[in-house]
Amino acid sequence: MRTSQRGRHAVAAGLAATALLATASCSGADTAATGGAPADAAKLKLTAETPAAKGHQDKANWLLEDEPDSLDLDTQGSSAGRVVLTNVCERLYQLKPDMTVKPFLAGKARTPDDRTLVLTVRDGVTFHDGSELTADDVLWSLERHADPDMEQADEFGNVRSMKKTGAREITIRFKAPDALFTKALAGDAGIVWNKEQVVAAGKEFGTPGQDDACSGPYTLGSWKSGDSLTIEAYDTYWGTKPLTDRVTFRWASDSALVNALKTGAADGAYAESPNTASALRGAKGIDQYYGPSTASLVLIPTARGGLKDPQIRRALSLAIDRTGIARSGFGGLVQPWATPVGSGAWGYEKQRFAAAQRELDDVAPASPTADDLAEAKRLVKSAGAPTDPVVIGTDSSQGRTVVANAVRAALQRIGLKGQIKTVPTAQFEEFYSDPGARADIDVLVGDWYISKADPMGFYDNGLSDSSNNWVGFKDKAYDKLVHRALGTLDDKRRADLTLDVQRRFSDAAVWIPLAQVPSALVIDDRMTGPPASQSYLYYPWAARLGLKKG
Amino acid sequence: MSLVSRVSRRLLGLLATLFAASFVIFAAVYAAPGDPAVFLAGGRDKLTPERLATVRAQYHLDEPLVVQYGRWLWDCVHFDLGRSFKYSDQVSDLVAARFPTTLQLVAYATVLFVVLGVGAGVLAAVKRSTWVDSAVVGGTTLAASVPSFVAAIALVSLFGVQLGWFPVTGSGEGFTGTLHHLTLPALSLALGALAIISRVTRQAMADAAASDHVEAARASGVPERDIIRRHVLRNALGPIVTMCGLVTAGMLAGTVVVETAFGISGIGSLLVGAINTHDFPVAQAVLLLMVTGYIVVTTLVDVVHPLLDPRVKGATS
Repeated sequence: MRTSQRGRHAVAAGLAATALLATASCSGADTAATGGAPADAAKLKLTAETPAAKGHQDKANWLLEDEPDSLDLDTQGSSAGRVVLTNVCERLYQLKPDMTVKPFLAGKARTPDDRTLVLTVRDGVTFHDGSELTADDVLWSLERHADPDMEQADEFGNVRSMKKTGAREITIRFKAPDALFTKALAGDAGIVWNKEQVVAAGKEFGTPGQDDACSGPYTLGSWKSGDSLTIEAYDTYWGTKPLTDRVTFRWASDSALVNALKTGAADGAYAESPNTASALRGAKGIDQYYGPSTASLVLIPTARGGLKDPQIRRALSLAIDRTGIARSGFGGLVQPWATPVGSGAWGYEKQRFAAAQRELDDVAPASPTADDLAEAKRLVKSAGAPTDPVVIGTDSSQGRTVVANAVRAALQRIGLKGQIKTVPTAQFEEFYSDPGARADIDVLVGDWYISKADPMGFYDNGLSDSSNNWVGFKDKAYDKLVHRALGTLDDKRRADLTLDVQRRFSDAAVWIPLAQVPSALVIDDRMTGPPASQSYLYYPWAARLGLKKG
Repeated sequence: MSLVSRVSRRLLGLLATLFAASFVIFAAVYAAPGDPAVFLAGGRDKLTPERLATVRAQYHLDEPLVVQYGRWLWDCVHFDLGRSFKYSDQVSDLVAARFPTTLQLVAYATVLFVVLGVGAGVLAAVKRSTWVDSAVVGGTTLAASVPSFVAAIALVSLFGVQLGWFPVTGSGEGFTGTLHHLTLPALSLALGALAIISRVTRQAMADAAASDHVEAARASGVPERDIIRRHVLRNALGPIVTMCGLVTAGMLAGTVVVETAFGISGIGSLLVGAINTHDFPVAQAVLLLMVTGYIVVTTLVDVVHPLLDPRVKGATS
């Protein structure tokens, strides 16, 4: 199956944070709830980059929302591990801050035909143990990623063979053209490991106390399990040397994270939840940047109850107040949105995707007009106005509670009944993976992100046989279009097909989009440099961190 | 009965209790809702029935509970706690890295509540039925009625964020660093215990003060200061120490809320993370460690008690 990696841990963890933050604000902390007005969601300005840093600094303290599970992203890929390791390990392709993808450790890449990719391994790159990066390392790494037990195995579904075809050349052949493969090589499927080091470490590879096996601008310094993790600038890095010599990572969640940033105990963090950023708005000494990300808030309907009927789904989409959700649930730091993927997914043909997103307002308006409501009521009537209440699955976090109530209000507005079912967060997570767990709900208040900057990384979720197509949407024309788009290497032509696919997905309301969730960088106001976009998961952001003044 | 034989009997009892507890813990963690195979299989793209079956077989999750328990126990007595499902690391390494932090936190909190709690109790007992007594009882009752997470949030926002006297996250390095970092967390933990300890101290001292030999000592003109120190406090020590021990033992299992509020990676937050991700080996190891801690501390109290109070010694031998 095709990728579209879900990021529920990312946003979900953040959403859960809100309850504590709300309590913290009662006890006198200066948060958004007591301080400044919420941001205006419609005017939220997303920038991929921050101003370039000029000054060198010895060290910086960075916060993660959790301790990395492992620094072997093949066996355990969590975003905390990625945020660290992206500064240490390099990939065959690189995701740039503007979310475009360029060949990287593969200095050159050729596609002699649609089913062949020839990579030339970059010269003069050394691993942190001083040994030279070779084509053998690249091939071995690719084969490791493709192992069925490894996290990235699904990216290699179309690969027929991978061979070394020259001293510095790897040739990959495909069973079918694969438009997303090079994008996967900019993600975890493209990491190049030092074979010798990984083999020597064996099962312990990626655990505390082990060396990294990579070639990036930083090396892994120390990892004290349960305490902190430090990376240090690599003296003989083949590329540009970083401005910050040492970055120490610690982890904290909820209010502890906010407090650490507020008191200057930490210099910065990528806030995985808009609520963290919201709690820090207007805090002294802290800059905030919002960048494009692929993350979104969505409603995921199931095949149970009234929402099984596409007309009811369309009606709900028309009646829901997305602006209200953004303002009261997320301090205005998410944006009403008409597609299920955020603008960070637009790695090509940006203008066209942007225009198409705005056009979809007709099926997913930011705030419903009288016409929208009239049309929604007509749809409900034509569907036979079901009387059973729609069961809305949620956990008790603030953001999700607001969404659930907004859904109930929207249902009421169009003459339907809604009923909210709240479960603990740990149980909520099972809704995503276990059909049995979601047997009692009609719609899930969900969140999602994809790991590649291409909307086609998402729309395979609407395929007839996709395990994420809970509502049982079946459309042969849709399936055919998706497969065609995934096999179209030319960006322009793929964009044409994607827009068609997107329109069909929206018209059928397979999922109901609510808002895009930007990535948020909070950083000490003396510092600048790292990208604000979601590229921080795959781009060596710390290498650009430095002081504002030279 | 000699001290040696008493201690060895205690040790045997301790082992038996541990054995029983380990089975209950294993079964409870096993019975918790949710399937660890779903987590172990990685991303949801791989959740095919075949893949899940492979993972279950690989981690022996498809075997009967008793066989799994036997396997786990066998490894345990060979000092192998297994590998974490979530972190690829050895469970023993994970626990060893976090246990000292929690231990320091509990030790610090114990020092705080013993010194402040016993002190307040003695003060209240000595100044019985005066305004000091009422102030102590009122103050400690108020402190006890504040849940530790509320205390944590209040302390952080006042002394951490507003005044900036104490760090708001992490456990610090070196002795002074650790002391500085753990002061607020330890205080939040200790507050709840203050009322109990001061109340027990006050009552125990009142009981001791009412005994005949104290009356006799007082009648024969022994100075009041000596009476309180040598007779009243000495006789009241039994219940005080017992209660302090029990409270400390309870704290070993109850640090998670405070750890979360202060961003401290201790054993409590490790346990909660493990339970949320169905990380069986870690959850089992941590729970067993907590139970062991509890049993060890309460056994110690049992062993120490007769040494403090000759009357108890007389009763058991």
